[in-house]
Parts: sequence; structure tokens; C-alpha cells
Amino acid sequence: MSAFDLLLGLAAVGVAYAWVFGRHARCGWIITLVYAIQFGVLLSMGGLAYSGRTPVAASFGFQFLGQSLHWRLDAVGWFFALITLGVALLASGFMAGEWGRTWRARGGSLRGLHLALALNVFAMLVLLASGDLLSLFIGWELVSWASYLLMALDGVRARDAALRYLTYALAGAMAILAGIVLLWVEGGDLAFDAVARLLPGLPDGRLWLLVLLFASGFGIKMGLLPFHLWQPKAYALTPGPGAAFLGAISSRMGLFALLVVVIRLFGLDRLAGLSVPFGLFSARDLLAWVGVLTIVLPTFTALRQQDARRLLAWHGVGQTGYMLLGVAVGSDLASAGGLMHVFNHASYQALLFLVVAGILHRTGTTDLNRLGGLVARMPLSFFLMLVGIIGLAGLPPMNGFVSKWMIYRALIDAGSPLLFIGAVIGTLGTILSVYKLLHNCFLGQLRLEHQDIEELRWTQLVPMLLLAGVVFVTGWFPGLVLDWVGAAQAALGLPVLAHTLGGVARAHGGLDMIWLVGVLLGGFGVGALVFLLGGRARRVHPLDNYAGGHFLDSHTRYQYSDDFYAGLMHRIGPWYRGLFQRGEEALVAWVDLLSLAMQGLYRQARPALWLVAALVVSLSWVLGAA
Amino acid sequence: MRLGFELVMMPLLAFVIGLLMVLLLRRIGARLQRRVGPPFLQPLYDVVKLYAKRTQVSHGLIHEIGIVMAVGGYVATETLLPVPGMNGLADKGGVITLAYMMMVPSLGLALGVGQCANPNGSIGIARALTAMLAYDIPFMLVIFGAAWVYGTTDLSEIIALQQHGAWGVERMPLLALAGLMTLPALMGKQPFEIYVAPAEIATGPMVEMGGKFLGGLFVMQAFQLYTLGVLYATLFLGGGENWPLFLVKIFAVVSIPMTIAWLYPRYRTEDMLSAMWRWPLLTALLGIAMVMI
Repeated sequence: MSAFDLLLGLAAVGVAYAWVFGRHARCGWIITLVYAIQFGVLLSMGGLAYSGRTPVAASFGFQFLGQSLHWRLDAVGWFFALITLGVALLASGFMAGEWGRTWRARGGSLRGLHLALALNVFAMLVLLASGDLLSLFIGWELVSWASYLLMALDGVRARDAALRYLTYALAGAMAILAGIVLLWVEGGDLAFDAVARLLPGLPDGRLWLLVLLFASGFGIKMGLLPFHLWQPKAYALTPGPGAAFLGAISSRMGLFALLVVVIRLFGLDRLAGLSVPFGLFSARDLLAWVGVLTIVLPTFTALRQQDARRLLAWHGVGQTGYMLLGVAVGSDLASAGGLMHVFNHASYQALLFLVVAGILHRTGTTDLNRLGGLVARMPLSFFLMLVGIIGLAGLPPMNGFVSKWMIYRALIDAGSPLLFIGAVIGTLGTILSVYKLLHNCFLGQLRLEHQDIEELRWTQLVPMLLLAGVVFVTGWFPGLVLDWVGAAQAALGLPVLAHTLGGVARAHGGLDMIWLVGVLLGGFGVGALVFLLGGRARRVHPLDNYAGGHFLDSHTRYQYSDDFYAGLMHRIGPWYRGLFQRGEEALVAWVDLLSLAMQGLYRQARPALWLVAALVVSLSWVLGAA
Repeated sequence: MRLGFELVMMPLLAFVIGLLMVLLLRRIGARLQRRVGPPFLQPLYDVVKLYAKRTQVSHGLIHEIGIVMAVGGYVATETLLPVPGMNGLADKGGVITLAYMMMVPSLGLALGVGQCANPNGSIGIARALTAMLAYDIPFMLVIFGAAWVYGTTDLSEIIALQQHGAWGVERMPLLALAGLMTLPALMGKQPFEIYVAPAEIATGPMVEMGGKFLGGLFVMQAFQLYTLGVLYATLFLGGGENWPLFLVKIFAVVSIPMTIAWLYPRYRTEDMLSAMWRWPLLTALLGIAMVMI
């Protein structure tokens, strides 16, 4: 029995336990323990990522239509599995204590939540270890359905959003299946290395078709433009810890599949050579530009959100763009940045979703116009959200800065000013948007109804503190993550980034976060010293302030949270056209019309006649073929 | 040991030169309005007065931490900017890191103002962040162009390249021009000073700031002027060969926006967006096209 068998077996034990004992009061802690053991087993395979040993294979596998299906975990899968299990462990810990009890008391199904999470982990491990295209497809479908279960737990609106997701996911799966069938017809073998041998010889037209089928199929799960609409609503309506898990890693499964199929099998050079007439635009440019559009448009949609969970979910879509952009540019620095961003994003996104879940838990709302001033009541949560938003905005000293720095730096090397400025606009928009999030939740005026709420319990704070620690420590010592990223790069056939513990050492401008974070902390120390040198400050009540002759009190609502960036929206407001939304509506209308027409045909207009006609046509086709 | 000395000296020098820049800008402003202007030590007196005031009003811990971040962020930033004889941490971060480090103090200011629970303060912060979105897009393009032309993001290397060859302003005049056009907005000077709102304190970030809180922001402004002056001189004017020349360059850079500051009426926030996204952005794009094609 290999280590991977053990891992998968433990994941299955988690599922079974949640299924049978899910109603039991202690269930949450035991499942958390099971995740912890899985995490340990995965770490024990860690040599894999550091030294690039051979993948850990599963001892099972079977034959289907002459294809052998098998599973093995290589460095890429290990990297993604590490994030999956880490986030699952912390999310499960978060809901094991007081959060879970309250959730159950409010009528939620804690058993369903634990079960769905365990199923997700199991399905993702199956996907991450797939050894050929057929096993990849099986894992893909498992993941799609498992995510649906997690999304559909919280009421009718959540079920609607989850169903919308499922429609998108099914369309994506069809595209992937079509791609697999095409490859089967061409080569007759679906093992990864056989497909890799087959692909370079295929004509350009066929390759374009394959790239588009796979990229759009996987892109739907990633939430790439224009297939992103399902994601924000579905994630926002998932119960807190579930949303943290989905937002952190679930959509990254699309990126994983894109990496192992489109990037590894096709190869970036082949994609760059795949161009439309006159060589103006290659398949690789297409990926990079989809990445940039996915950064910019969803980020500015996030800026307009009035709900904390929606705002975060939209940023989740936007940040995916950085990962794709990095990988599509493909140099050692860019692809390392893209891959590292997967890790970084998971850490701060999970943290932010958990903080927002905590706010919802205490106040009963995530509406940004009904919160404010909570820093006085929940100071630790404020601090945790601060760490998270600095990471999400990509500012030093948190880890988000490192991965984005790599992407900017690589774009300068590549000489792509437009992609660069797209990435920068995304970052600036994110800064605006996350400040609004922090301001409207924790700063400003504390509302009357929130005067007496308490800080979260330790069972909730500990997972969040651990995540915040990861965000900060991997920002200070990015080399820790870059070790794993380097192994993943090697496994994907991408150029491997030479790195140090502090970042990237290279001629003509590197990055050493150990020094930078050190000097930043030193600077804060100096700032604090200077501050303390000044006269002694007297603390006043937050509402004791100057409002140009008006008097503010708890009954006068603080009116500056709604339409926070009024000046900006004056200018760019008319640019929001809801094009994708209307496109989706148009598509739905056409499908409705088409299905009505079909119904009309077989229900009303002489079904027998159509049946006979269809029979004749198919018979003549069969006879003709014979 | 040497590095330790530099890490202490660089922010100190920046502080002193920054105060002198504040003085210079005030004097230029005064001359344009046919006034005499403040005495030589006035900026220092201001800092001391603000820090030593007896009435110091704090709205809470985050209010204080915000001010600490605003000053501390710039103290750290100064160690990334090479000056004659001292490179500090220039090779550890480079120009992109510098640009992002400069956002940390702004975030600190935003946090501090946010805790004050004054709607007018929040309006000011919303404007300041919008202004950042306005000027940083052309500014980052300028940085991109310069880094691409020099083939490096290391500021000390950029200086060496210019001192052994042509200055940046010769090699990429349009980018230098675009940088100059964004400079008044980066400095928060007229006609782009609405987000600081110095003339109507009641509707700006400063509304709840007094004593050492305002003093911290005053120090932050001095650092900001210095940082921008040095960054511009480093990218386009060959950096500092020696201290006298270096000082001439950086004082010239910060005084240009001030001399034309009052030619234009103040821009509203939304008009500032259009202003920044039109000519500076176009000039920067043209400049990049010129050097890349």
C-alpha cells in the first residue's frame, strides 16, 4: 500500500464518518483530526516536492475500453493537495466549535456541511492524482458534483445559484469530453505521454479546436471571462467555512487541469506557434489576455458590491486572472509567480472568508451598509482582516505582494506594457475595494445594535490566526513556498525559477523579502518611537468629533459607506454595461425558445410522423454506411 | 556595519531634505503671491510644535497605528532609494517594490482616518484612494518604460547606466514628460489637491487630526516630497553624481510642479480621473511606443 493509498483511504474514512456520525456533537473535532492525519501523511510525502522524486502511484487502477486508468500524485498534484488539505483542516476546525453549534441551532445541516466538505476533499485528491485523461475526467466530474453539494446547503437562493453553477459545469464537462473524444479519434490512446507524443504532429486547425475546447472547459471551473458569472453568487451564498474552502482552492482545480493538459501536454512553445493569420495573435496571447481581462473586469465589479461575501467572491474571480497570466507568460519568473499566487490566494482568501463568516455569525449580516465600527468590539478580527486585505491587495509585507511582484517583473522582461498595466489596474482596483470592505465593516461608526457584541471564540480565532501567520510568514520568507513551486514547475516542464529563502536573486533587479520586511518592521518601530516622543494623547469617544457644526451620535447614521467611491463612479459608472449578464440572459432566452420549439415538434405536431422520419433517416444512414 | 550606518542615515537625510523641500515649496508659493514666505526653520518649528502640543486627541488604537504606519512606511521606503555614496537596500527591492512600498503609508493614513468615525474624513480617504487610481496608472507605465529601457529594476544600476551614458530624459523624453505631468498629483499639490483639501480641513482626511497626529502627517508629506524628487531624478536625470548636484536636481524636480501649481483651477475628483487618464496616460503610452518600436 502506497502513501497515496493511505491518503485516499483516510479521505474516504472522513466521508464515511461524516455520513454516519455527522449528527454527533463531537463529529466536527474528529473529522478535523482525520484531516490533520491526512495533512501529516501528505507532508510525509513532502520529499516529493523538494527533490523531484518519482510520483507516488496508487496501487489500484483498472482497464476501460482498452485504456488503463491509473492515479499518481506528482509535484503539481502535491502542491495543490497541500493547499486543499490545509484549508480543509482549518475550515473544519472553524466549524467544529461554536460556529457549528450556532449554525445547527439556526436550522442548518452541520452533517451536510461536514459531509460535503469531506466529499470535496476526496474528489479533489482523486482529480489531483489523475494519471491519464480518462481518470482526469472522472476526477473532474466528482469535483463538480461535490462542489454543487457544498454550494446548495443554505436555502433556496443558494440552491438556485448552485444550479446555475451546475449548468455551467456541465457545459464545461461536455467541452472537455469533446476534446477527449477528439484526441481518442486521433490517437486512440489517452495516457498523458501518448497524447503528448501525438499533439505536435496535429495540424494547426485541429490544435486550435482542442485548445479552445479544453481551455473553455477548464476555464469555466476557474471562472475565467466570459464564463465567470456563476461563481460570485454561488460562493457568496455558501456557508462561511465552505465558502472559505471553495474560494481558496475549489476553482483552482480548473487551473490544475489547465496546467497538466494545456500547458504540459501542448507545451507553451507550441501554443505560441499556434497563431491566427499574419501571426498577430497566438493561442498563448489569447490565454494571457483572457487572464488580464479576468483580472480587471471582475475586480471593478467587486468594487461595486454592497455585500462583503459577494465582494470577496468577485475578487476570487479577479485573482484567478493573475495565476493564468503568470502561467501563460510562461517564463521562469512569471510561471513561478502564477503558481505561487495559487498558494498565496488560498491563504488570504480563506482567511477573509472566515473573518466575514465570523462577522455574519456575530452580527447576522454581511451587508456593508449595515456594519461599521466593529473594531471596538472585535479588535482581533479587525487585525486578521487587515492582514488578509493587505495580502489580497498585494502590498508588502504580505505574501500576495511577492507573487504579484514576480508577475510584474516578468512582464517587464517580456516587454508587454499592456498586460503589465492591466495587472497594475487590477491591483489598484483591489486596494480601493478592500479598503471599502475593511472600512465599512470595522471602521467608521459603531451601530447601536452592535454595541454589545463580543469577539469571536478561540475555536474560530485559532484557524484564522494560523492562516494570518501563513500569509505573513510566506511573505517574509517566500522561499518556503518557492521550493514547492519550483518542483511543480519542473513537473510541468516549465523553466524552474532559481530562488533564495528571501525571494528571487537575479541580475538586474531581484527581490529579498527578508530585508524588505525587516526594514519595514524597523520603520514601523521608528514611527512608533517618534509617535511616543510626542505629547501624551487623550482617548476620546469615537463620536466626539468635528463635523462642521453638526453633531454625530449613534442615532445619526454614518452616511458615508453607501456609494463609497462616488467620484470614481461618476466617471466610470457608465462603463459598467452588464454585457456578460445580458449575454447570459440572451443565451438562456435562445435555449428556452429552442426547447419550446422542440417541444412543439414532438408534443403537438404529429409525433408519430417525426418518429417515422427519424427512423427512416437513421436507417438509411446505417445502410448507407454499410 | 556600513549597511547599518546607511539604514540609519538615509531616512534621517530624507527627513532633513524633505523639510527643506517643504520650505522651498512654501517660499515659491509665497513669492508667486508676492509674500515674503516663512523663515528658514519654520518647517522644523511646525513639527516640534505639533508633537509637543498639550492637547492630543486620539480616537483609538487604530488611529495611532495608522499614523505610525504612515511615518514608518516612508522611513522604510527611504532605504530603497540610492543617494550619492549610499545604496542602502536598493538591490534588494528595486523600483517596483519602491512604488508599492509608497502605498503602505497611504494605507496607514486611510486606517487612521477610518477609525475616527468622521464621515468627512472618510470622504477624504475615498477621494485620496480614487486619486491614487488616477495617477498611478500613468505613473506605473512610466516606471515600466524606464525599467524596460534600462533593462533592470535595480535603481543603483539605473543610476550607473545613466552616468556612463545618456540620461533617461534624453533616451525617453516622452516618458520623462509623462512622469512630470503626474508629479503634481503624486505630490497632492495644486491643482490636484482636492483629496488633501488643505483649504477646507472639514472635508478631508485631516479633519480629526491634530497635535502629533497632524505632525506625523506633516513628516509623511516631507518624506513624500523627497521620495518623489529622488525617484524622478534617479529615473530620468542621472541620479546623484555628488551631493551638491544631487540636491540641485531633486529640488528642481519638486519645484517644477509648484511653480505652475496656481495656473489651473482645482480639479474635482472625477475630473482628476479624466485629466490623469488623458494626457499623461497618452504621453506615457506614446513614450513606450517610441522606445519599444
